[in-house]
Amino acid sequence: MSAIVRVEDLHKSFGGIVVADDVNLSFEAGEIVGLIGPNGAGKTSLFNLISGVIPPDAGAIFVESHRVDQLPMHHRARIGLARTWQNTRMFHSMSVIDNLLIATRRYPGESLARILFRRRSVDAFRQEATEKAMVLLERVGLADKMHEMAIELSYGQQKRIGLARALMSDAACLLLDEPMAGVEGQAYETIIRVIREEAQAGRAVCVVEHNISFIRDISDRTVFMFNGCVLASGSVDELTRDSQLTDLYFGGEHPQ
Amino acid sequence: MEYLLTVMVLIGINVILATSFNLILGYGGLMSVAHPIFYAIGAYCSGLLAIHLQIPVPLSILIGAGIAMVLSFGVSLPSLRVSGDYLVIASIGFQLGILHVINNLEFTGAAGGLTNIPVLNEGPSRSLVFVLLIAVVAACAVMLVGWIVEGDYGRAITAMRNDEEAFSALGRNAMNIKIVLFAIGSGMAGLAGALYAHYFAYVTPEQFGIFTSAALLTMVVVGGAATTWGPLVGAVLLTTLPQAITFLGLPVSIMAPLQGVIYTTLVISFLFARPQGLTGGTRGGGGLEAWSASAAFRARRRAE
Repeated sequence: MSAIVRVEDLHKSFGGIVVADDVNLSFEAGEIVGLIGPNGAGKTSLFNLISGVIPPDAGAIFVESHRVDQLPMHHRARIGLARTWQNTRMFHSMSVIDNLLIATRRYPGESLARILFRRRSVDAFRQEATEKAMVLLERVGLADKMHEMAIELSYGQQKRIGLARALMSDAACLLLDEPMAGVEGQAYETIIRVIREEAQAGRAVCVVEHNISFIRDISDRTVFMFNGCVLASGSVDELTRDSQLTDLYFGGEHPQ
Repeated sequence: MEYLLTVMVLIGINVILATSFNLILGYGGLMSVAHPIFYAIGAYCSGLLAIHLQIPVPLSILIGAGIAMVLSFGVSLPSLRVSGDYLVIASIGFQLGILHVINNLEFTGAAGGLTNIPVLNEGPSRSLVFVLLIAVVAACAVMLVGWIVEGDYGRAITAMRNDEEAFSALGRNAMNIKIVLFAIGSGMAGLAGALYAHYFAYVTPEQFGIFTSAALLTMVVVGGAATTWGPLVGAVLLTTLPQAITFLGLPVSIMAPLQGVIYTTLVISFLFARPQGLTGGTRGGGGLEAWSASAAFRARRRAE
C-alpha cells in the first residue's frame, strides 16, 4: 500500500486554541481510516487544513507526490482531494443533478472561450458528467430526486447527495465529515456499501464520525484526536479498551 | 421630440449599466458598488482620447470600454480576498479614490467636468440615429448577459454564489469566474460611459458617485436581481420616474433630495417585501439573497 495523503508535523492555532498540534498522519490507498474524538478535538479542522479551507501555521501536506499545503483549494481538489461537509453545504438554488455536475473532473462550463469555440468537447464533457452523476445517484439511492432542489431534501438525503457529489471527481482521497449524521435505516447500509466500494477501488478514505459503531463497522484503522493531537491509533476495540481515552471522549481532562 | 429621444438615450445607457451590474451583483453575488466608476472610466478615457489624440470616435469608444475592462482588476483582485460587506467597503474605496483623482486633475477638467467631447454622429436626425444605436447595444448587452448566465457557465456562477468554499473544494476555480464577471460587466459599463460622453459631449465627476451606485442598485433590486429582464424593467422605470417628477414643477431644492429618498425607499421596501423584484419568480434575490433573506426573516417574525 502507498500513502495517498501524508500530513507531516502539521500545526495550526487560532490565538490560544490549538487545532492541530504537530499532527502526523497518512492515509493509504484502499484504506478506510476512522477519525474520532470529542467535539473540538480538531477533526474537522484537520479536514479544513488538508482541503485548504484554512492555511496551516507550519508543517507539510502531500497528496500523492505533490506538496499541496500552499496551493489554493481548487488546485488541491484537482490533484486528488474530495470532501464532504458536516452541514452538507448544498448549492441551494440548484437541483440535485446540477449540484453533482459542478463536481465533475472535466467541467463543461470551465471557461467561456471553450463554450464559444469548442462546443463539441463541451457537449461531450456534459454528456460524460451527466451519465456519471446518474450512476452515482443510483448508487446512493436517490436517482428519483435528480430534478428536485437539493435544499428541499431531508438532511440525511442531503448527506447522501454530498457523498455522491464528492465522488464525481474520482479523487484519490475522500474526506467524509460525519456522513452518517441524520442518516437512518436502509440509507445507512447504502452509505457503508458505497464507502467500502470506493476504498476497494483504491481510494484512501478518512471518515470523521461520532457514531462509534459505524466506525467499528467500516474502518480499517481508527485514529483518536484530542485538543489537536493524535493521541492513539488502532482498532476501535483497542481504543475503547483504553480507559484514559474513553474518559477523554466523554469529557475528561487532558493527561498532562 | 428631442426631449423624448434624450430620455430614450438615457434609458438605453441605464439598461446597459443595470444589466452589467446585475451580472456582477445579482448573478455573481459579488458585492461591489463601484460600478459607476467604470462608467466614468469609459466616458473619460474615450472623451480624452478623442479630444487630445484626435482618435476617431468609434475607435475611442471601444478603447474606453477596453480600459474599463482592464481596470476592473482594481475591484476583482480585492474580491479574491474579501467578500460580502468587506467587498462593498473595498469597492467604495476604489470608486471614491478614482473619482477624487478625476476631480483634481487639470486635464480631466477637474470638478467642472470634461467639455467639448466630439460627438459620435451629427446631422438633423442625430438623436434618432443614436437612439437606434443604443437600443441595439442595449439589446446585445441583455443577450450577452443572458448567454453567460445560462447553461454550463451559468451553473458554475450560481454554485460559486451559493457557496464559494464548497465550490472551490470541488475543484472549480472561483478566481477565474470573478475576474471574468468583473471584466465583462465593467467593460460594458465603460462602453455605456463612452457612448454617453460622445452623445452629450459633456461629463462631470459628480455623475459617477455613490448616488449613481444607489440608482443602479435600485434598478437591479426593483427589477429583479439575477433575472434577465429585471434590470431592463428597473432601468426603464427608474429612468422615467425622475423625469416624470420634474413635471410636478417642484423647486430644485426639493427635487434633488427627493430622488434620493425615492431610490432608498424603493430598495428597502423591495428587499423587505419582494426580494425577487418585479420580474423574479418565487425564489430569488440572486446575490442579494443574504440581505433580502434576513430582511424577510425579520418581517416574518414581526408578523407572528
